Amino acid sequence: TTVMSRAAGFSPPGRPRLTSCRSPEKETFTCWWEPGDDGGLPTTYALYYRLENSETVYECSDYKTAGENSCFFNKNDTSLWVNYNITVVATNALGKNISEPGEVDVAYIVQPNTPENVSAVVVHEDQIPFVRVSWEKPRTADTRSGWITLVYQLRIKTEKYVEWEDYDAGMQKYYNIFSLHPGKQYMVQVRCKPDHGFWSEWTQTTFVKVPGYLVRERSLWFM
Amino acid sequence: MCVFVSINAVGLNDLLERASQLSEKLHSLSTSLTNDLDSHLPPVGRMMIPRPSMCHTSSLQIPNDKDQALRIPEDELLSLARSLLLAWSDPLTLLSSEASSLEHPERNTINTKTQELQDSIRSLGTGLEHLVHKMGSSSDDLSDLPFNTNSLGQDKTSQLVNFHFLLSCFRRDSHKIDSFLKVLRCRAAKRPEIC
Repeated sequence: TTVMSRAAGFSPPGRPRLTSCRSPEKETFTCWWEPGDDGGLPTTYALYYRLENSETVYECSDYKTAGENSCFFNKNDTSLWVNYNITVVATNALGKNISEPGEVDVAYIVQPNTPENVSAVVVHEDQIPFVRVSWEKPRTADTRSGWITLVYQLRIKTEKYVEWEDYDAGMQKYYNIFSLHPGKQYMVQVRCKPDHGFWSEWTQTTFVKVPGYLVRERSLWFM
Repeated sequence: MCVFVSINAVGLNDLLERASQLSEKLHSLSTSLTNDLDSHLPPVGRMMIPRPSMCHTSSLQIPNDKDQALRIPEDELLSLARSLLLAWSDPLTLLSSEASSLEHPERNTINTKTQELQDSIRSLGTGLEHLVHKMGSSSDDLSDLPFNTNSLGQDKTSQLVNFHFLLSCFRRDSHKIDSFLKVLRCRAAKRPEIC
């Protein structure tokens, strides 16, 4: 049958490629791969891994949680400060193909989820109103125990502008922005970064309208 | 006497805050050094780098996930950080003595950063000593992790390869130290704005 299948244009699978691994909170992680050519046949994929100090090879226990072409490593399967040697094997009726092995230490692939519940409100404590932006940490990140430490950054611009203006908020979960133009609508986004790791994506845009208060009244005072 | 008094005047939270800042710097420095070295490592050298399990500190039993780390009492967590730091005193002396003769285009940068690493682990070591007293730590059993090497190798390639290997071991260990100290910082400080 093999000869016939080959004649019909079928072939063993192409080489899959391990593309990336990411841990959102230093407690679990996910690896993704890109399938190669399926050779025109139903093809299955399996991810195998081995820890640096052991010869035991494990197969991924969860191909579902993180979607297609991925393996999710739950808390029990996740250790830090040890290299995971990972390969992906593609199999169809005509044969197998094994990816180039990948090496990863979870300590170095931390990229948090985006901050949550971003709000931007105008505060009128003084004559000049300012905008207070506040947010919450990503739900999955356990910053309270100190296991992960996050710093935040926000950016703001009017709709017409191309350039964002960035502000570092440090570990605070709010930031006051002064000297905005009255009568303008602003767009705000927030992101976070662990002490050692990568920036999260920016949050969806939050809009805030700065009221058109009268600057002229103030300048009259000074005349 | 003056120094003694001023150190004791520093509260536990502040000491932990300073220690965390130093450990964070240690890890960032080692990462930046690794990148400098990586920029000019011959492919044959890359193949020669020993496995991370060969690091002289790899025998130390440490918590390697959150649940384990959070279960460990404070004084033990501090002892682990101190044991790791102590284990790097000799190897870092070796690294800084050999950095100036490395065959690498970034030699000067590497040399400067290595000296800085050495200074920082000394300061952190002193800081952690004070923490032990401050926390009234009962356990003082530090693990002995001997480092029995006094040369990085004779030829230029093995010197570079061993430098790289030691640094990658240190990079991982400094991440452990930083993680443990930050857990300690949050346990001591009941400050919701930070933790």
